[in-house]
Amino acid sequence: MKYYKFGNKNGRYIGSNNKYDVYENTIASRISENNVITEKKPYEIYFNYGPSAGGLRESVNFNIVTPGETIRDITVNSHYKRRKINIINNDINTALLKIERINGFHAASNAVCFLLAIEDALDIDNTGSNNKRIIEIELERIRSNIDVIGRLCESAGFSIPEKQLLYLREKVTRIISDAFNHRYFFSANYINNVHGDFNKIRLNNVYDEFNEIYNGLLESKIFMDRLQETGIVKDINSSGPAARASGYKYDARVDSESLAYDGYDAYTVESSDTFSRFMVRSNEILSSIDIINKLLNKIGNDKNDGKIKNNSGEGAARIESPQGDIFYYVNIEDNRIKDLSMVSPSYLNIELFKKAVKNNNILTDFFFVWESFGIWVSELEVDFI
Amino acid sequence: MMWFFKGIKKRIKTEKLNDKYKIKYPSALEGKSDYKCPTDAIEDQKWVKEKCIFCEKCDLKPTYNQDLYNINNNIPGLFKKSFYLYPVDSGTCGACNTEFDTIFSPQYDANRFKIFLSNTPRHADALVIMGVYTEGMEKIIENAYDAMPEPKLLIGMGACSISGGIIGEKIGKKFDIEILGCPPSPYTVINAILRARGDVK
Ligand code: SF4
Ligand code: SF4
Repeated sequence: MKYYKFGNKNGRYIGSNNKYDVYENTIASRISENNVITEKKPYEIYFNYGPSAGGLRESVNFNIVTPGETIRDITVNSHYKRRKINIINNDINTALLKIERINGFHAASNAVCFLLAIEDALDIDNTGSNNKRIIEIELERIRSNIDVIGRLCESAGFSIPEKQLLYLREKVTRIISDAFNHRYFFSANYINNVHGDFNKIRLNNVYDEFNEIYNGLLESKIFMDRLQETGIVKDINSSGPAARASGYKYDARVDSESLAYDGYDAYTVESSDTFSRFMVRSNEILSSIDIINKLLNKIGNDKNDGKIKNNSGEGAARIESPQGDIFYYVNIEDNRIKDLSMVSPSYLNIELFKKAVKNNNILTDFFFVWESFGIWVSELEVDFI
Repeated sequence: MMWFFKGIKKRIKTEKLNDKYKIKYPSALEGKSDYKCPTDAIEDQKWVKEKCIFCEKCDLKPTYNQDLYNINNNIPGLFKKSFYLYPVDSGTCGACNTEFDTIFSPQYDANRFKIFLSNTPRHADALVIMGVYTEGMEKIIENAYDAMPEPKLLIGMGACSISGGIIGEKIGKKFDIEILGCPPSPYTVINAILRARGDVK
């Protein structure tokens, strides 16, 4: 493992799975904690929502303790849709088909991070593929951030910008499908290779259309009022847009060597509320388009000629997926998966959501706060067997 | 008011179905193949569309045709005026969920075909089940189905729910409509419903 080692806590906390606590450069044994809701007081009620309910895209249950209006405590029960994925002993190509389907909306981030871990394990020089991978991941980030902002508009009852963002999300999806043959990047990624027609990626219209919607939202006092000072959380253990909305320059594009971004500087704001997370995501849509446009001019000479030197080994990688750090550890024996472990950004984002929603919010704020973290239960609730 | 004018300025964005935009994967595949398919979707060289996850590995050729569905029961005529769908996520990766909400985007605008989203199974005409079987969602799905008024339909969306795909076990219920793909495209979802309702022959 080039960039990771087993050991004690070192650097910032990335998240946990059922086996490990993962830090910036180390993998440590898991110290587990319990998710217990406090007892309700006599004047309070439990309000139970989900796992299957209108307004929820995935199956997840919330148990809220409320005296009627404010949210005093909450548990998030995400286990309902837990999937057992049979992947141990699979060959790498079959495993990759399953990795893409851990979080299909972020399939590029998952596939690339997994492949970077494999390439680390098998000592493959991947420098010829990595700029193409960055383009993919930034495209995925653009779509994902448009999606989150669209859902914030829906929660705020702003149906015209919501529909315009849904339109734009589909427009980006079509750019992806024209370039990569699949609307969710499935089967676009391989060991030291990306299958795609990068000439088909043209984002100038997306930049202008998003900018117009973004500026319109910033001019709307009602939209700003709804988002400002709701869901405030500032926590050193955070990741992705939620961390950067609290002034932390946490970004694997800056502090991970697995996938090198040339001179990227993380965009941060300070106020830690739903509005700050909206600001970070909006600005990152525009900066991702800039990153892609610069790289499109550079990839012409990139050659994917790194040879596979080993067929066994241990590897790990961490990259910045749209919602924060994503981490993969693999142990490969004779080109088969002997052990596999991942940490998704939704792990820390759920913890942050719970803190944010309890922090002086009322029930009507619930949806803004939830949507602003861009949580995906699919990537959280997987067992590799 | 400002947004109202911004909306008007953009004009109508809704497209005719299967208009200019073409989708390569998933689309109906043709030809024969000896490839050892990871989901056993090739039997005796022939394509078994229900099991296919459109992984692009075999030599079956994509046709760009989005009519990827099975209608196992025709829909009663009374759903022609309005057809309310209630989606349930049994064990998805998230892509089926996203394609499902895309049918209500301006490009596809399923509402113009009198297809609507219901916020509760109590007002739904069809339950759309996505994802593989999971223990945690089994009872929830049963309860949702029991809560629906008659007549009611079960729709399976995506390879996971219909065959288990590459991820796990299928849902194991008899679906009135099977919408194939991994994930099925928004065109496929709308085409399947229109065909089952008899709007398209
Ligand atoms: S595309 Fe993939 S899943 Fe479909 S038949 Fe070919 S090999 Fe099997
Ligand atoms: S059918 Fe494919 S896209 Fe749909 S949930 Fe299953 S793996 Fe994801």
